[in-house]
Amino acid sequence: MEIFVNGTPRQLPDDLADPALPLLWALRDLLGLTGTKFGCGVAACGACTVHLDGAAVRACVVPIGSLQGRRVVTIEALGSAESPHPLQRAWIQHQVPQCGYCQSGILMAAAALLAKNRRPSDAEIDSAIGNVCRCGTYPRLRAAIRAAGES
Amino acid sequence: MNRRSLFVSGLGAAGALVVGWSLLPPRERLGTVDALPVEQGEVGLNGWIKIAADGAVMLAMHRSEMGQGTHTALAMLVAEELDVPLGRIRLFGAATDRLYGNVATMVASVPYFHPRETERGNETPPAKAGQWVVAKIARELGINVTGGSSSVVDSWDVLRLAAATARARLLGAASIAWKQPAVELVVRDGVVSHPSGHSAHYGELARMAAATPTGDVRVKRREDWRLIGTSAPRIDAAAKSNGAAVFGIDVRPPGLVFAAIRHCPMLGGSPGAVDIAPALALPGVERVVRIGPYAGSTEAFAVVAKTWWHAQRGAAALAVDWRQRPAGALDSAAILAELEARARAAAAADGGFAFHSRGDVAAADASAARHVEQVYRAPYLAHATMEPINCTARVAGGKVVVWAPTQAPGLARAIAAEAAGVGEDAVTVHVTYLGGGFGRRLDVDFVGQAVRVALETGGRPVQLVWSREEDLSHDFYRPAAVAILRAGLGSDGLPTTLRITSAGDAITPRWMERGLPALAGPVDTPDKTTSEGLFDQLYGIPHQRISHVATRMGVPVGYWRSVGHSHNAFFVESFVDELAHAAQRDPLDYRLALLKSAPRHAAVLRLAAERAGWPGFGLARPIAPGRARGVALHESFGSIVAQIVEVSIDKGRPRVHRVVCAADIGTVVNPGIVAQQIESAVIFALSAALYGQIDIVGGVVQQTNFPSYPVLRLDEAPAVETHLIDSTRPPGGVGEIGTPPLAPAVANALFVLTGKRLRSLPLQL
Repeated sequence: MEIFVNGTPRQLPDDLADPALPLLWALRDLLGLTGTKFGCGVAACGACTVHLDGAAVRACVVPIGSLQGRRVVTIEALGSAESPHPLQRAWIQHQVPQCGYCQSGILMAAAALLAKNRRPSDAEIDSAIGNVCRCGTYPRLRAAIRAAGES
Repeated sequence: MNRRSLFVSGLGAAGALVVGWSLLPPRERLGTVDALPVEQGEVGLNGWIKIAADGAVMLAMHRSEMGQGTHTALAMLVAEELDVPLGRIRLFGAATDRLYGNVATMVASVPYFHPRETERGNETPPAKAGQWVVAKIARELGINVTGGSSSVVDSWDVLRLAAATARARLLGAASIAWKQPAVELVVRDGVVSHPSGHSAHYGELARMAAATPTGDVRVKRREDWRLIGTSAPRIDAAAKSNGAAVFGIDVRPPGLVFAAIRHCPMLGGSPGAVDIAPALALPGVERVVRIGPYAGSTEAFAVVAKTWWHAQRGAAALAVDWRQRPAGALDSAAILAELEARARAAAAADGGFAFHSRGDVAAADASAARHVEQVYRAPYLAHATMEPINCTARVAGGKVVVWAPTQAPGLARAIAAEAAGVGEDAVTVHVTYLGGGFGRRLDVDFVGQAVRVALETGGRPVQLVWSREEDLSHDFYRPAAVAILRAGLGSDGLPTTLRITSAGDAITPRWMERGLPALAGPVDTPDKTTSEGLFDQLYGIPHQRISHVATRMGVPVGYWRSVGHSHNAFFVESFVDELAHAAQRDPLDYRLALLKSAPRHAAVLRLAAERAGWPGFGLARPIAPGRARGVALHESFGSIVAQIVEVSIDKGRPRVHRVVCAADIGTVVNPGIVAQQIESAVIFALSAALYGQIDIVGGVVQQTNFPSYPVLRLDEAPAVETHLIDSTRPPGGVGEIGTPPLAPAVANALFVLTGKRLRSLPLQL
């Protein structure tokens, strides 16, 4: 089986590419893309958020069997060292991360939001970012999303 | 010998040591380069610092980064003294050496001195002697833990001196090489120069510096600081914004296989008959490993597979006949009832261990104008770190390598050695970033389990990852606690007596048993964490008896961000609020009236009041209709925090809009990180205050994942402001201090809104 990740077709080993295998584990354990995190396994925390055809989805409940013809983008391709995504710049400017574990998922959720809506209201940010952060980076990530949207 | 009984007997013997007291000199902790792994081109200058060929300063990092910003704060101390930009500090994992032990946490754990006896620079002789002895013992034991908000406290003197010593040697080398007086040398960004035209970076001077004596080294004067006291950006922010940061769960050594775990659902239970065939029949599954108890864990099976998902599917397919623990099923409701009965019995009979007594409570009670007595309760809590519990291990050729997100690398090494049946010298522990710790990762059960599985994978590394369900149902929980608080009020409404009798499990002896069994003794000595925040509060109440009944209910208990303070602050700061209302006084004025001998506490409270616009302080700020304010004040880990919250009731539930925090944490290394940590601690505490509860029925934890163990989300997060008192005292703790006052502040505001006093956590209207 082949899935299209970060602009590249990636081959998955036949013996492990069960169509029910969640995208999260294909990324982490078969493709070595560890920036996308496991948090709950039941789409309740958002740590595994990636983009599927541009929309934020929770990779722990997306079976790879559903990915034919679809484009997956992970945190590794959100920006680059030379050209970080405006959210990544804002993240550093506002000193958002603490432990950092949930941040990939939050950044991907925020990027999908800003791609549709550069000036989201507080309610729109609340509804797009349902992610769990145990370090409580919430006030800062809200400010960083606003700043990135305005940049 | 039990570590703390060693302390206690040490204290008894310590009277003789009062004469000749001096602070344990940080010089003794500089160590030698023998402690460092030095690679080609690098030069070690002491046990902490080596210089790379390109002139970068390499710091042996002995503390774990779990979000609290300690890597940045500790690197700042070194960059300051060596006059290099923060970006020129490179961290490498400290080796296992007693040098890196945490002296401050052990000194802070010395029972049972009241803060009045340990006020820095003004210690009573017994306290001074006790701390000296414990510091000595702590040096000898060298137990390296990241916990107790102690990293900067513990490293403040030693790291600055290590860096200053390295700098002196580098300058000494330049002075000799250029035949110029050292005082004429200038250091800028790691480059040493002399007006005569000589110039060299640290890398060019390092080899000669290693052979240069240090002379009399002093750390920089406060007025010369350029970095300490600034909000320097965190050194880990970029890697934590692009997915590059490597947590334990991200380690990918070649040949890695994955393991999932399934514990006996009943805490402390074990497996009976088991059929592993259904698991082995699944594609990708390699084997099933029975896992005995490791460092306090419940028995389990691990399933090894090519991906974690395949392993987890295998774990679910195991058919196991689980057995209850021999002592019978645990039940949290029954435990809370038992705790209350034990506390009541002790309160009626001057029972429990009295951590603090003063005056004559019984006599003063007899003449009090009136009495207030209430019972407060707190439930078991889970940590729920965002990064699920995991550890990666490889056992090959008699050597063990462990990659672990751990707060206790020495304990991890010991359990790994035990699990593999090798000596500790055969074990290497690599500490990764921690995706949250909050005390959970002071336990090393998962390290023993991972090494056990790695014995079965033919030399290939294995990564053991717990599901969220396993995490919530097999944690070391914040202990449930009950406290009976009784005060006698004088005719002015102020308390003349305070009797607090609490009951709950002690954490430290249980943690010692599982993590440091060689040091655990047969008898528990009183654990200060049970009563911290109660016995050491500084309200000027002349007659007090603050005691605790230490129980052993059988639920695995562990350290949870701010430990005993997390619930004890709720008990005492809610109760003081009750007393203020009983006396018909403003709760903030009432506290100030009790803080006449605690000027630092009063100053923090006043600062919070001014910034929050509390009526009567500064510019009174009207509050939105439907909202009320609540206040709480609490000292923990050497720092004092006041919080004033604004709360309303939204669809029948409490909603916290704004939290104004004032704090005196002594010298501030990085105010930006302090503000970040206060925000963090407030939101962590608010999750617990509104939702946090672990229920155990028939030995089985009922909360299984975030839907049943809810935590705060963005839409509920309050605005948090932090205001710091200017101070030249040595630094106090930071990571935990914002947690304790939040729950009582919210409860106190809810009382204003509803007239109903909530005396149990979580706060449910």
